[in-house]
Amino acid sequence: MRHGALSGLRHRSPVHGLDRRHLGPPEVLAQSVSSAAPAAAMAAAPAIAATTAGSGTIWSFVIATVVSLLIGSCIGRFTRRMAVAGSLYSLTAKGLGPAAAFTSGMALLVGYGVLVMGALVGSATYVDALLGRLGVEASGTVLVAAAIVLGALVTGGVLARVRLSARVVLAAEAVSIMLMIVVFVVLLGVTPQVPAAVTGGSGVGGIAAGVLPALSAFIGFEAATALGVEARRPFRTIPRVVQWTAGVAGVLYLFATFTQMTGFARTGLATVDEPVPALALALGQPWLALLLDLGIALSFAACALATLNALVRVVFSMARDGIAPAALGATHPRRQIPHVAIAVVVPVVVVVPVALLASGLPAAQVLADLLTLATVGYLVAYLLVCLAAPFFLRRIGELTPVPVVVTAVLVPVLLVVLVAFVVSAWGGVVPLAIGALIVVGLAWLLWLRRRRSAQLAAIGVYDETVTADVLGGHEGSPL
Amino acid sequence: MSSLEPLPISGRQPRAVRSALAVLEEVVAAGPGVTAKEISAALKLPQATTYRLLNLLVGEEYLVRLPDLRGFALGRRAARLALPVVPTPPAAARAVVEHLRGQVRWGVHLASFRTGQVTLVDPDPDHPPSDDVVLARHPHASALGMLLLADQPDWRALARDLRPLTEHTVTDPGELDARLEVVSAQRVARQCGQVRADRGCIAVPVHDPATGALVAGLALCGPAARVAEPNTELVALLHEHADRLVPLLA
Repeated sequence: MRHGALSGLRHRSPVHGLDRRHLGPPEVLAQSVSSAAPAAAMAAAPAIAATTAGSGTIWSFVIATVVSLLIGSCIGRFTRRMAVAGSLYSLTAKGLGPAAAFTSGMALLVGYGVLVMGALVGSATYVDALLGRLGVEASGTVLVAAAIVLGALVTGGVLARVRLSARVVLAAEAVSIMLMIVVFVVLLGVTPQVPAAVTGGSGVGGIAAGVLPALSAFIGFEAATALGVEARRPFRTIPRVVQWTAGVAGVLYLFATFTQMTGFARTGLATVDEPVPALALALGQPWLALLLDLGIALSFAACALATLNALVRVVFSMARDGIAPAALGATHPRRQIPHVAIAVVVPVVVVVPVALLASGLPAAQVLADLLTLATVGYLVAYLLVCLAAPFFLRRIGELTPVPVVVTAVLVPVLLVVLVAFVVSAWGGVVPLAIGALIVVGLAWLLWLRRRRSAQLAAIGVYDETVTADVLGGHEGSPL
Repeated sequence: MSSLEPLPISGRQPRAVRSALAVLEEVVAAGPGVTAKEISAALKLPQATTYRLLNLLVGEEYLVRLPDLRGFALGRRAARLALPVVPTPPAAARAVVEHLRGQVRWGVHLASFRTGQVTLVDPDPDHPPSDDVVLARHPHASALGMLLLADQPDWRALARDLRPLTEHTVTDPGELDARLEVVSAQRVARQCGQVRADRGCIAVPVHDPATGALVAGLALCGPAARVAEPNTELVALLHEHADRLVPLLA
């Protein structure tokens, strides 16, 4: 009746070469959770949000959790229907077309790339602090050495087969979250329970401003999307994992915020520089600070590896799309990983943070700037994928009212958050870096328009259904 | 997340199950390429419900989306909903098996692997083999089953439960792994008393020369003690007949 419906099927997927359909749900979940690095954010994010939101900090996190869940639902509209390696870049291509997808790709390269750098700096900083507490004299050399060792470990992790790499990430993240829960439960247990509302609230405006740092604590929760090709049941696993990560991270942040607000009820959370270690020391529990440093260092390290896994798959997808050098789309025949993309990406994301730390810049400032820049990249990618969702559904003839409403609510919110984020960083290096990246991106796009217009028009490679997936699609034997 | 939660069926769920089956049927009836809107219209189901059911069935891999992302077709997993149909081997192939029966005093059985299981398609009427169900469910124990497992990229997907059928059955995954390596290397599988304590089998594979796929296996079964002997000539005879089966079965 529908002659030729199956004739367009390819014999092998356009993203062949990856370890197709092999990762179980826990390994995929680890990718997303680690990339969001909740253990690291639990310690830092509540205090940052409290500088504007005051006693309303908890509401900032509630709003950020809801926004993240809604972003997750937009991503889910795609991932229930297609499996990709290029994360949000490949998804956006199916809804908004080449220019928007290219922008998303650029934003992801920046977001993922800079987050890997930031996570390495973060992990090195806390390893340094940990060694300091154990009596090793603090010096710049220790910090740089820690960054180099961590860079080497992460390189080893990304070069392993994806199953092994995912399991390492899973173990590291599980340990770090357990450590953080132990630390926070102990803190909550020994803290005098004073109602938290004694410090002045900053009203609705303050809470809204607090959503910025709260939302940046969630970035990375979509990282499992890049494992679509490698997940065993991608259409079921990926959308769930992304939503679960947003939910779990939200619960952890609310718990962490509640603990810290209770601990600093009298003085106000925002007045303290490093709230959790200060709390631990004030309560006469210095060993908690050790656990905390270890947990955060592990969480950042897992974040670096998980985000790097996503980054190389975006580069790989861009190469398979024909808008990056084709060699970057090669895969290792035995390990089934995009090894050429790894070889090109890894030196950049490891050398830059090591160089920044070696140059003697204050580590805390480097970390803050890198995380801000990464967040801008993520927000652009989130904005585009949320905008793309209803267009995608309309294109395939499956549009319903709910996705339209979700996008109509989310897009203005994300736009405001993005603008506020850039404005809040005004005067620092971050806006300069953004400006430079926009120039580079535009130049690349113009070059592609002139030289690779056909490839540019066709971007959006994904793990298509092939003849072997379809019952009766194979000529010959059914096995 | 991968297992089915044992929830009691309640409320509107029976209707949802019926609708899901109707969607599957509609994809078969309309043919590959049918779109979500068309299915919704044909079944008079609300659109949102239809899309959810389709996504669910795609998630479970009973359906697939075609590359335009609009059209649907049956996925490979849907094959599991029907009884596997194994074609009877052609007369020429049965003649080859009969010829071998005339040369040896053991039972000679021909099995097909086309359904992903061991299915006897020409069992020896004079030496009845083990029960079909036992052979299909416990590939780790039988010689024909080991041929099938040795051909898999990951045999653990097919043999989840290494249950002992006799005291000789290999139940250790490591040991089975080592044995399957030998089976692949020597193109012959052997078991002594693993299915029934007093019986043993030697089996050789029949591969499709074009695709390299394992299509069938030819087995000789006899007393366990005799099977344990080297039997070089018997194995050569088996391989010779298996080679004659290649053009007839592949």
